[in-house]
Amino acid sequence: MSDLIGYLITGLGIGAGFALVASGLVAIYRVTRVVNFAQGGFAVLAALLTSTLLAAGLPHGVAELGGVALGALAGLIVGVVAIGRPGTSPGTSLIVTLGLGVLAYAVEVLIWGDQPRSFPGLTGVAEVAGARLPAHYLLILAVTAPVFALMAWFFARTDLGRALTACASNRYAAQVVGIDVRRMGLLAFTIGGALGGLAGVLTTPVQQVTFDSDVTLIVNGFAAAVLGGLTRPMIALAGGLLLGVTQTLVAGYGGGAYQMEVALVLMLTVMIVQAARTGPVPETAR
Amino acid sequence: MSGPVPPARGRGGTVNRWAIAVVAVLTLALPPLLPERHLATFVLLLLAATVTVGVSLLMGYAGQVSLGQASFYAIGAYAAALPAVHGVPSLLGLALAPVAAAVAAVLLGAPLLRLRGHHLAFATLAVQLILLSLLAQADWAGGAIGLQGIPRLTVLGVELRDLGYAYAAWLVLAAALLIARNIVDSRPGRALRAAATSETAAAASGVAIGRHRLAVFTLSAAMAGLAGGVYAFYLGYLSPGSFPVLLSIEFVVMAVVGGLGTIAGPVVGATVIILLVQVLNTLGTQPGMPDYAPSVLSYAVYAVLLIVCVLYLPRGLVPALRRTGRRPS
Amino acid sequence: MTGAVQIDNLTVRYAGATALDDVTLAVAENEMTALIGANGAGKSTLVKALCGLIRPDSGTITVHGRLAHVPEGREMFPDMTVDDNLRLGAWRRRRRDTAPIYDLLPDLAAIRSRRAGTLSGGQQQMVAIGRALMADPEVLVIDELSLGLAPMIVTSLVGHLRNLHATRNLSVLLIEQNARLALDLCRHAYVLESGRIVLHGPAATLARDPRVTAAYLGGHVTVTP
Repeated sequence: MSDLIGYLITGLGIGAGFALVASGLVAIYRVTRVVNFAQGGFAVLAALLTSTLLAAGLPHGVAELGGVALGALAGLIVGVVAIGRPGTSPGTSLIVTLGLGVLAYAVEVLIWGDQPRSFPGLTGVAEVAGARLPAHYLLILAVTAPVFALMAWFFARTDLGRALTACASNRYAAQVVGIDVRRMGLLAFTIGGALGGLAGVLTTPVQQVTFDSDVTLIVNGFAAAVLGGLTRPMIALAGGLLLGVTQTLVAGYGGGAYQMEVALVLMLTVMIVQAARTGPVPETAR
Repeated sequence: MSGPVPPARGRGGTVNRWAIAVVAVLTLALPPLLPERHLATFVLLLLAATVTVGVSLLMGYAGQVSLGQASFYAIGAYAAALPAVHGVPSLLGLALAPVAAAVAAVLLGAPLLRLRGHHLAFATLAVQLILLSLLAQADWAGGAIGLQGIPRLTVLGVELRDLGYAYAAWLVLAAALLIARNIVDSRPGRALRAAATSETAAAASGVAIGRHRLAVFTLSAAMAGLAGGVYAFYLGYLSPGSFPVLLSIEFVVMAVVGGLGTIAGPVVGATVIILLVQVLNTLGTQPGMPDYAPSVLSYAVYAVLLIVCVLYLPRGLVPALRRTGRRPS
Repeated sequence: MTGAVQIDNLTVRYAGATALDDVTLAVAENEMTALIGANGAGKSTLVKALCGLIRPDSGTITVHGRLAHVPEGREMFPDMTVDDNLRLGAWRRRRRDTAPIYDLLPDLAAIRSRRAGTLSGGQQQMVAIGRALMADPEVLVIDELSLGLAPMIVTSLVGHLRNLHATRNLSVLLIEQNARLALDLCRHAYVLESGRIVLHGPAATLARDPRVTAAYLGGHVTVTP
């Protein structure tokens, strides 16, 4: 029983990371209709920078904020290249973000090398209902929950958030009322970058990061996001948590080698069922 | 991708035919003149070009992005190597390679090709990750450590040496190009091109798009599988690590750089990229360079070429060169 | 007196086809001006060029003051409330208080928390007008006010529009397929055919012009539009 509770909380912590990556994907897709393949790279860049800043003696909190800021900056840069040129179709932008993801490899290996890195997070062991687990998992949850609440408030209750939602809801009408949809797209990329960065900064103390960790992150993030058709952040949150818990349970009860398959098979099933229900998924290009 | 890709037809058929003949003769005469190090590049280039022919068909004519083409390369390689390791004649193993890849493509394609755009891209990526993970756990296939001691390819009792592989790869690429050309000019080929441009229009004209699309998917897998078979015998060693996700992305880069929907595009794309990576690799391994230099340089080349081509040369190098070549006349 | 909107020699081409050919048009200050024409005459292109959504190939457009646009098809943000739709209309302004709009269009107050996608066509048209007014415009461009709406609803909308025009300094360009409605409501009118202005003048004069009555007011002579 205490095993199960331990796995559940660990799984929620891991899943929170996926959910943050997924919500970044959703934030960008809703506004721009671009699936950002470089989303996992934001997490890696943020984690690597945080490890350097901590090693340089910066206190916790400041170093992590630095990492998230780099994620946001990387998001903005990806946005400028991917959607900055007028008339770039979402399909073309997807390939551009793929290229930028590979470019991030070059930058990361150049600066940080190709060996796994990590940094200490919240140290110590916590005891929850008889289960003992690293306290850092609780910190992940304690940060992720308010971040999602803040996002829900931002998108529904602030004028800037409403303008972003408006671009997602009806792009043409957004232009009619004078919203600069390209600039909103860049803002969405920046938010997506920060969310990806936060995922990397939060999960690295319990999971090492290497330059190519982004593949795992983007695949899990996409799997979580695709549950809600890439447009619903709260379903992406639920999907991410579900994936994290399932994978931890599978690993905990002896299927460690098949953790990744859980996300992959779920993602394939969801997409195929969605396609069967709605007919062929329309082309992204438009 | 941005906009439909117009068919690139050979104008002045005789000129084209002469050019092809010259290129064929040159590439056939080249291998004996190459030092061993460069011969390896030559073989790998031809194999990459073969896979890229399939990727280009898929992207240019069926309008679909596959981020998992290296899976079929891997399936072909393992399908050829596994029987050979257990004493089955190597040529039979090589024949199995495209068949195994094609069968896998039919089984996977039936559900997956309902997906489009980024959904299909992620689905093919997922398939490759699953395959790699399964291979790493399959002890009968060498597991994560890999499959060693693959015998060399034996044709009519003669064991192929390096030069032999160069010609085997040449034949494989030539076959892929011939098939691709015939597909492009066939009725299904034209129908697919129409479908890539406008699915509704093609559906309205009653074209069996689903079947054609599966056919191209299968054919492109078979090309990758055959190339993978040659690769297995040439290297004599396989592991899941030989087929990273990045390899699939590299094939996409080669297809995009060369130009989708052209016959020469995949060959030009693969050549430009592999030679460039080779040059940078030589540069990166110079004394005094840090040991990560080669990988940094090759990542940068793939990334920058892909981004620049997609944004500024959306039809790739071959049509772009053709346009500039035509301007003076 | 300078016009609120002055369009001179406007030409717009799409992929070689000419959508607008040398169009010159003026909307006088504090007046309602109609632009009538059949489907495909180029009305929507003119609106998009006027609102800066497409770039003309040649010609000049001068607008004095702020311009707001009630687009064809209403173009709601369907998942958002009426109140949020209205607030977004003031995106370019600092003041985003929706109360004055509920005073002007009291019908909207009752549905302020409903999602715009669930409203009837007439209600949506009212929201679209309210949203445009949130920009506090000097010029209002209304694209197809009556399209797809029942006559009673249209009558009520027209009443609101007359009131608005009477109480605020508002120049209006009304783009309408329903020529009778447009000529009734407006003082000046232009007739657009195949991308060219073929007739213009006081609405009352145009309403008696045999070419207009025949083509647009259901006269006895049928002319293919």
